[in-house]
Amino acid sequence: MGEEEAYEFVTSTLEKERIEPYTREESEVVHSVQQCINCGICLSHCPVVAAVGIYRFSGPRSIAVELSRSPPEFWATGDTIYLCTGCGTCMEVCPKNVNIPEIVNMMRSRILRFRPDLVPKGLHVVRETILEHNLAFVPLEDVEDKTESRDMRLEHYGLPLIETPEEAKSEVLYYPGCQAEERSQEVREAAKIILDRFEVGFTMLEDMCCCGLPSRLMGDKDTAEKLASRLKQRIDELDIKKIVTTCAGCTSNIGDASFAYDWNVPVLHLVEFLTDEVGTDKLAKAFTKPRGKEKVKVTVHDPCHLIRHTSRQLMDKALLLLDLIPDVKVEVSTAADSCCGGGGLVAYHSKDVSKAVVKENLEAIRLLEAQRVVTPCPLCTAQLEDNLFQSGSSIEVDDLTVFIAQRLSNKG
Amino acid sequence: MNLEADIVIVGGGMAGLVAGTIASEGGLSSIVLRKGESATSMSSGAIDVVGYLPDGTIPFESPKEGLVALASLYPFHPYSILGFGEGKPAFAEKVITGVEAAVGWLKDKLKDSVAKIVGGLDSNILSLSILGTTKPTCLIQETMVSDGFANEFDSTLLFLGVKGYPDFFASAAAKSFLEQSEIEQEGPRKVAHSTVRISPFGNTCNISASEIARHLDHDDALGELLPQIKKTVDTLGATHVALPPILGIKNARGNRQRIEEEVGAIVFELLAFPPSIPGLRLQRALEETYRKSGGQLLLGHEALSAYKEKNRYVSVQAGAPRRSIRISTKAVVSATGKFIGGGLRGAEDGLTETVFNLMTVTGNLIQADNIRPYDYTSPFAVDTGGHSIFSCGLTVDPQFRPVMPDGQPDADNLFAAGSTLAGYDYLVEKSGLGVALVSGFYAGKNAADAAKEVD
Repeated sequence: MGEEEAYEFVTSTLEKERIEPYTREESEVVHSVQQCINCGICLSHCPVVAAVGIYRFSGPRSIAVELSRSPPEFWATGDTIYLCTGCGTCMEVCPKNVNIPEIVNMMRSRILRFRPDLVPKGLHVVRETILEHNLAFVPLEDVEDKTESRDMRLEHYGLPLIETPEEAKSEVLYYPGCQAEERSQEVREAAKIILDRFEVGFTMLEDMCCCGLPSRLMGDKDTAEKLASRLKQRIDELDIKKIVTTCAGCTSNIGDASFAYDWNVPVLHLVEFLTDEVGTDKLAKAFTKPRGKEKVKVTVHDPCHLIRHTSRQLMDKALLLLDLIPDVKVEVSTAADSCCGGGGLVAYHSKDVSKAVVKENLEAIRLLEAQRVVTPCPLCTAQLEDNLFQSGSSIEVDDLTVFIAQRLSNKG
Repeated sequence: MNLEADIVIVGGGMAGLVAGTIASEGGLSSIVLRKGESATSMSSGAIDVVGYLPDGTIPFESPKEGLVALASLYPFHPYSILGFGEGKPAFAEKVITGVEAAVGWLKDKLKDSVAKIVGGLDSNILSLSILGTTKPTCLIQETMVSDGFANEFDSTLLFLGVKGYPDFFASAAAKSFLEQSEIEQEGPRKVAHSTVRISPFGNTCNISASEIARHLDHDDALGELLPQIKKTVDTLGATHVALPPILGIKNARGNRQRIEEEVGAIVFELLAFPPSIPGLRLQRALEETYRKSGGQLLLGHEALSAYKEKNRYVSVQAGAPRRSIRISTKAVVSATGKFIGGGLRGAEDGLTETVFNLMTVTGNLIQADNIRPYDYTSPFAVDTGGHSIFSCGLTVDPQFRPVMPDGQPDADNLFAAGSTLAGYDYLVEKSGLGVALVSGFYAGKNAADAAKEVD
């Protein structure tokens, strides 16, 4: 058998053996994991290990040195690998900055491809939803219901309605993400109010589609890539030069896509767009005391996709913004940068783990005298809000975008 | 948005955080950049100053004795550098005073922290490890103090393990401890071993140190443990109880005190391998000290490059996963660590310094930019002479400024500290955290002076 022939023969057996060669990007991730020195620092920091113990979730070190090392046996890791919330704490504390969150995605993608029966059912449901609607949630069927829900939310938060600009030519795209599009519509409306208040010309997509993060996290690489290229196509059509989001997950995921595929389109979270492009002078003048609202003590929660997957600077900017608002006092929680448990789609199949992870945050928040929690991510907001409410706490949670919009003075 | 700070410190371990705290205490603004958790966090949590002479097998009685030996035999050892001044040769006394100042300062800083340290330069403490062996060290955390089980006539030392915690086997530790005591003909009258049950998540297998420590930080968990220890201690008549270092991340000191009161014996923690809880406690205590002094700790940021104008660094570029910032500064301390920390990179084509492109040298101060790292390792993994690759690094002037091939410092305002320095092998000398502390202390002071010159 010649060399060429042997190569052909071996590659033809791969499918049968359920082995999928690494792509170039995947090889990079594998190289990153090869850097692991097995020191175990990650084990002392992983929020899931802290919440449920290494007996249940063997932790980042185990993923790096054991679970990720044998491609054909990835599916034996199913009970563990789906419990990672992808918060990136391990990657940040690791002396070698091993990219654990990405190797987890890669392993999940192989399990989905060769042993979809081992993928938790909850994830299949999300996958079906995304494939059908291009959104992470089933949209409200009736447009009127959606409008009604939006108006109720606006009334509840005391926000005015701003007309959505047409898909006209503006170089700035405001991208709300699935949560703000379908569920927390107040976040999308608040962002429109803020952009309008500072006279930023912006445009929005008429057919919002998911950024692809949930697909990436469950290992559905193909759909993630399809959604990314779909977004890119729309960006090109509209000649977009800059994307502004209000969701931490979208910021990091679209940012990753822009970086990986050389889009040359910066992806900014609204927080940094405000501090860097609008400027603190303009911001300080625009804030006012909200009508009928007293002095408020808040604490912040740092979304993992901002601080660990993008940059910790973003939360410093969020604090800078809060500092500019009159009558707002920030109390720092000791667990501010700890994962809320809502990441990695864990809550879709192992709610107990997700709840155990968020407990750390809830306890730290309860120790403070803060009345509200503010966080620049609608997904963290929902996760914290639900769990605080269920634990019987009276502390309320606001998305930072809404919190800001409520405290802006009128134009002019 | 770009940042500004009087001093930028690259690296957030012992050297970097000490330098940063010193700078803040001098009234300057500082930023510590940290890309990953440091070797301090990986350490046993005891601070060695100097334990052995390279190739030596008998430990120094005291760090002072060791410093004198180093100052006379190794004039370019990072400690010996303190003896230089105005071109005069090393004076051991000057070295001792210099190290004493740094050690005294740190003891004072950590006295109310979770990692309160005890000890001093007058004697080395022979600290027990989880293998039942001893190691000479200068400063240990209060929870590791084992008050003289070796000297008391009627003492019984109990090695107490935790069922399902795989890092520590009490029986094996007791056995190797006994073998060692027989050779040295000293030690307690009796040695015993036993295990207790702690199950943070309801299971008693495959438990990690951090799980147990976090569990014991809660009051009720300790309450469950106390009767078990008391029963074992009473049965065996133990006077000293050696536990693996699991007494808590936040409340280890309080827990130890409570156990001692309850069981009526001296309780202490052993030294352990990484990742060890006392190392984590030390790292946290240092971070807290730095933050309290007013410094800014920038986690998840890696120094990418630095910009020089004339003979001074004016800014450092730092990168996070998807953003990058420029920090304007008046002085820079490089405490980037060695090979694991990423400050030095060894490859087939030589040894390079990764951030400032500084000159690297071997332990004998020969330029190392084209050495083969392989040639600087010993064929024996454990060798009292060590692997000379570990004594490679940067060479510095008496102000701790890295020196370039022309013999001049790379810049007027760049200082280096910690394991990135050449001329010492922390593995054989047992001097890692000590050199980090002392060099960080003086590099910080000198950087503060350099920053003040600018105004």
